[in-house]
Amino acid sequence: MSKLQIITKGIIKENPTFSLVLGMCPTIGVTSSAINGMGMGVATMVVLIMSNMVISMIKNVVPDKVRIPAFIVVIASFVTIIEMLMQAYVPALYASLGVFIPLIVVNCIILGRAEAFASKNGVWDSALDGMGIGLGFTLSLTVIGAVREALGSGAIFGYTFADGVMPLLFILAPGGFLVLGYLMVMFNKIAKR
Amino acid sequence: MNMMNILIGENISAEVLDGFATGSVAVQSITLVAIVIGAIFVNNVVLSQFLGICPFLGVSSKVETSLGMGMAVTFVMALSSVVTWCLQTYVLNPFGIGYMQTIAFILVIAALVQMVEIVLKKVSPALYQALGIFLPLITTNCAVLGVAIITIQKDFDLLTGVVYSVATALGFALALVLFAGIRERLEVEDVPQAMRGVPIALITAGLLAMAFMGFANVVPLP
Amino acid sequence: MKSSLKNMVLVLLLISTITAFLVALVNDLTKDAIAESNTKAKNMAKYAVLGTNDTEATILRDTTCTIGDFAITVSTVVRNDDQTVIGYAVEAPSITKSGYADRITLMVGFKEEGEGAVINAVEVLSQKETPGLGANMTKAGNSLERSIVAKNPAELTFAVTKEGGSFDALTGSTISSRAYANAVETAYAGYLWATGRLNTEAQAESMTGSTIQSDSNLM
Repeated sequence: MSKLQIITKGIIKENPTFSLVLGMCPTIGVTSSAINGMGMGVATMVVLIMSNMVISMIKNVVPDKVRIPAFIVVIASFVTIIEMLMQAYVPALYASLGVFIPLIVVNCIILGRAEAFASKNGVWDSALDGMGIGLGFTLSLTVIGAVREALGSGAIFGYTFADGVMPLLFILAPGGFLVLGYLMVMFNKIAKR
Repeated sequence: MNMMNILIGENISAEVLDGFATGSVAVQSITLVAIVIGAIFVNNVVLSQFLGICPFLGVSSKVETSLGMGMAVTFVMALSSVVTWCLQTYVLNPFGIGYMQTIAFILVIAALVQMVEIVLKKVSPALYQALGIFLPLITTNCAVLGVAIITIQKDFDLLTGVVYSVATALGFALALVLFAGIRERLEVEDVPQAMRGVPIALITAGLLAMAFMGFANVVPLP
Repeated sequence: MKSSLKNMVLVLLLISTITAFLVALVNDLTKDAIAESNTKAKNMAKYAVLGTNDTEATILRDTTCTIGDFAITVSTVVRNDDQTVIGYAVEAPSITKSGYADRITLMVGFKEEGEGAVINAVEVLSQKETPGLGANMTKAGNSLERSIVAKNPAELTFAVTKEGGSFDALTGSTISSRAYANAVETAYAGYLWATGRLNTEAQAESMTGSTIQSDSNLM
């Protein structure tokens, strides 16, 4: 697989949300607006690239049976460290992305890629894989967020285009499931031909 | 204007005034019954808190396996809430290392799952047969960590925390079993090609979540 | 790698130790910087809710009142050139009502005008409400803030409009809005308390055992 393919496969062929169906909890939880979806996507991408690199470095010294606990501990401490560094040195960025960071620990995309890619490939390929999957995740979350925001509050990225009473349902829990479901139908129709 | 007629501070509620006068406020007490109903129906972990969606979509295609998974999760959640509560109260707080919470909790849950697996295998092979395959999946179930952290955040005492965790797990099991029942019926329906599998499951979950919204405001939230 | 009990325990122990050590190290390195940036952000909010900034005004004093686990801090902000009081910035949590996820903390700016006071602006210091719903309280010009800014707090009723109050609730977020109203109420009580005008005579008998502490006596 070429380096470029590793990056681009995450966008359509192995799109984490629509094709691999990973990380559903944050996907539905935070995509009540486009900007939130994008924030979560970017924060996840950063963690994913770094954790993939670390996992592929330590993959040879970890016994198979304790792989999952070991990886989870690495990811959790990693997320905590990033959170502290951001809070201390880039408080402005932390103010906008901060709420998403603790959620990343329980995002199964991170563990999923650690298992499926990073534990079998080299450091740089793993970093590229993290970037590709992260890009795909960011894109899908932004799209879901934009659709829910447009339907539920008549705005995209905070710019209101429709006033009056909007179907609030799309911002609430059921709307998350419904929008994701129908977008997945469209994805299957278009991308999987 | 007639501003002089308004007595200063007259509009402040007795509770808040009392707080300033006595230096303490009565924390709203919520009964255990309200916590149980709230966690199972009003704030269902899957359908309104978005935790544990992956096993919800992955496992729930048969009622029987859903019951097994629900039982396994209830068992682990109850156990892990006791252990993480003690860990937070007797280790993390006294030593001022609250920032280690995520790491410590996730390690405890992973270890607990492994231990439960080993013990069950020795003590009750029958139960192990029933739950065995679900146990490793629980480590990656974000609902377990989520509930452990919520229990600490809400300042529950040990009993309330355990009741809350068990109720949340029962809510998870309920959603899982209901959902599996619907999906068993869907199997025999003629679903359009592009909707088969996960998409139709998500849309079903959306409708189920809408039904659960009817429980809103039944009890005060914890 | 093949698993044996020995290498499993060893590797897990090693990884936990190393990561715990790293996390503790980073915590130690960033602790002061985090505290500093938090204080700075809080001070900026104090000036912002009174429509001023740190070049033309200073905080004369902070008066803190402790109610149970909660602290209410009233900062008196004065103009640099003539030391006149611009107003009071009050940091207050919602003490009797929680939000959807947790209590919320606000910074409320009170300015004195004639006989009464007006709410100049409100900033949300901390909240964990649902994104897109309750979390909209952090957006500039949201309905909650609009319904109380430039109003005399003595004329407000601290509840949401559908419960007969003065606060226009955020769409679909009654619980968050109630907590917001409660935090504004607490802030107003704190402001009256710090300026010596809070009428707590009704509770005069229960005053003993009070934990209210003040680092300065106002008025």
